[in-house]
Amino acid sequence: MKPISLSQGSGGRQSQRLVGAILEATGTKPDLPLEDCALLGEGLAMTIDGYTVSPLAFPGGHIGKLAVCGTVNDLACRGARPLFLALSVIAEEGFDENELLGYLRDAAGICSRIGLRIVTGDTKVVPKGQLDGLILTTCGIGKSTRAAPLGIPSIQEGDSLLLTGPIGLHGATIAALRYGLESEGLVSDCAPLWETIEPLLAFDGLRAMRDCTRGGLATVLCEWAEASGLGMEIDESAVFVPSPVASVCDLLGFDPFHLACEGCMLLAVSPEETKPVLEALRASRYGKDAAIIGIVTENHPGWVTLNTRFGGSRILDMPVGEILPRIC
Amino acid sequence: MIDLHRERVLAAAAALRRLVDRPLKFMEVCGTHTVSIYRSGLRALFPEGLSLVSGPGCPVCVTAQEEIDSLLRLSEMKDIILATYGDMLRVPGSSTSLAEARAHGASVRVVLSAADALRMARETPNRTVVFAGVGFETTAPATAAVILQACRENIRNFAVLNLHKTVPAVLETLGADPELSLDGFLLPGHVSTILGLTPYLPLPEKHGLACVVAGFEPDQIMAGIALLVLQKKRGIPAVQSAYPEAVRPTGNRQAKRLLETVFEEADSIWRGLGKIPRSGLKLQDAFSAYDARVRFGISDLPARETAGCRCGDVLAGRIQPFGCPLFANRCTPETPVGPCMVSSEGSCSAAYRYGRGDRF
Repeated sequence: MKPISLSQGSGGRQSQRLVGAILEATGTKPDLPLEDCALLGEGLAMTIDGYTVSPLAFPGGHIGKLAVCGTVNDLACRGARPLFLALSVIAEEGFDENELLGYLRDAAGICSRIGLRIVTGDTKVVPKGQLDGLILTTCGIGKSTRAAPLGIPSIQEGDSLLLTGPIGLHGATIAALRYGLESEGLVSDCAPLWETIEPLLAFDGLRAMRDCTRGGLATVLCEWAEASGLGMEIDESAVFVPSPVASVCDLLGFDPFHLACEGCMLLAVSPEETKPVLEALRASRYGKDAAIIGIVTENHPGWVTLNTRFGGSRILDMPVGEILPRIC
Repeated sequence: MIDLHRERVLAAAAALRRLVDRPLKFMEVCGTHTVSIYRSGLRALFPEGLSLVSGPGCPVCVTAQEEIDSLLRLSEMKDIILATYGDMLRVPGSSTSLAEARAHGASVRVVLSAADALRMARETPNRTVVFAGVGFETTAPATAAVILQACRENIRNFAVLNLHKTVPAVLETLGADPELSLDGFLLPGHVSTILGLTPYLPLPEKHGLACVVAGFEPDQIMAGIALLVLQKKRGIPAVQSAYPEAVRPTGNRQAKRLLETVFEEADSIWRGLGKIPRSGLKLQDAFSAYDARVRFGISDLPARETAGCRCGDVLAGRIQPFGCPLFANRCTPETPVGPCMVSSEGSCSAAYRYGRGDRF
């Protein structure tokens, strides 16, 4: 018996281990490096995600919105227009049907706005106590018409690192609710980023994109550094941490770089096209706070460093284990 | 726009470069200071000769192995819910950790405060909630308050495993250690809001140590260090607050009254430092109904520290995290051997997460 611990579900390094073990046990040999969305050839892209969140609804969203946005964003990261969605619903006996339908109605609204069709689905009900309310799983299929490759192998030394918006909003919102803190001013950034990304796909200098979900911006940067063998150098003062996020982090001892975002993406862009991409981003929906936050370097290969506001420098690492509040 | 905090940090750094003309070694007592220093990369701004060692101010870290084992034994008892602060979960005891025990079915819940644990007791009347009372003068008054509240409401299914420790006596032990030969302490901000400044007076008076209470922002820390250096340079060691907005000289009377009502001074075992007289708190006999040790017959059994782990030396400032042979090879935040690597406030964890870049 080897019990799976909660820390293996928190993003970061211990989650990586579990994924590695599953790949090995199933004899799966995916294209490396691992991405959240697979390219199947001829521009086809496919992704799947399970959603569990407590509480199910929060300022700025709910599990239904999260499930659609997560899948849309995973497809968008690979430059694929979201086309088809499969939806699985697993509900606990006794769960309010109206609440479920409310979530799914909103989810369907987002789908129709961006032209994503829900084409198949499944429902299961499990006896009371076997799960906490509701689990949604979405599988998305999309298509990319882009010729220039998009993904970690395309990242090059000298590329700029751009962020589409502020960090930590989703994670801080959920943490504030979960631990009963004042959550005034905190709204999850949960959003479908296809409309933000679509105008950027015309730029051949766009090298890679990733949404900074579980494990936060730090996890994406570390995965990119480790998988590309390049270093990432980040300018702390360029990363927008909204003050309510900073307050929650101060109280609980969290690092905003480790908190989940659900509507924020990291981009690697060639130096030549950084300016036009940034301008396009700032003109797009959800992209008004976009900023250049760092650069890809050949120094310290495989590592992410953060230049602090005070002229110091430190390592930026993934979170380890469950993100737990500290004592005092 | 000009970044005020940044300018203050840089001004203090310039002052330090001007002032430090001989080796000076200070200890930052509090884990929150340690993390803030690493996170903001302040060490890069220190002039040569100025060194800062981390002290025993991470409550998780100084909790002794035998105390962790007691918590584990409690968590495995039938009909008990163990309510604990989050960062205790992953600390390895002699055989396992609370997180592993939970994965194997033990009832362990994370709470943010003692009051949450009492609420849990009200909501689950058929089980006993035991709160792991860990921490210094910052968390102990809250534990005292819920014990009094439980008395008032006559809540019987609630108890505390009291592991609280107090700061001043330990600083005197460390300050008097000739091997460490400290020049002074950057005193903890939160603990001092409760205690005030008086309990630290023996440090300058008996041991000639510079003492400054500082807040937790990088500019406040740098200002605190500059004051420490000035005290040494001018030969006027004293207890001084660089955090007057939060720390009153007399401390927080209400919190101190809570402590006096519920607890009494006691000896306490600190990881790495052993038993230190008057460095802990014990529940007064009148509250033994809420004492988990009494109710469940728990006594701390001797426990051996993990072979090779030098957390004790790190906590006492005898070595830096990098000086431990296990650091960053066998002991990492994923596979922590000792508590200083587990806690988010631990100095090994901070050095690992933020400080490895020193080699670039």
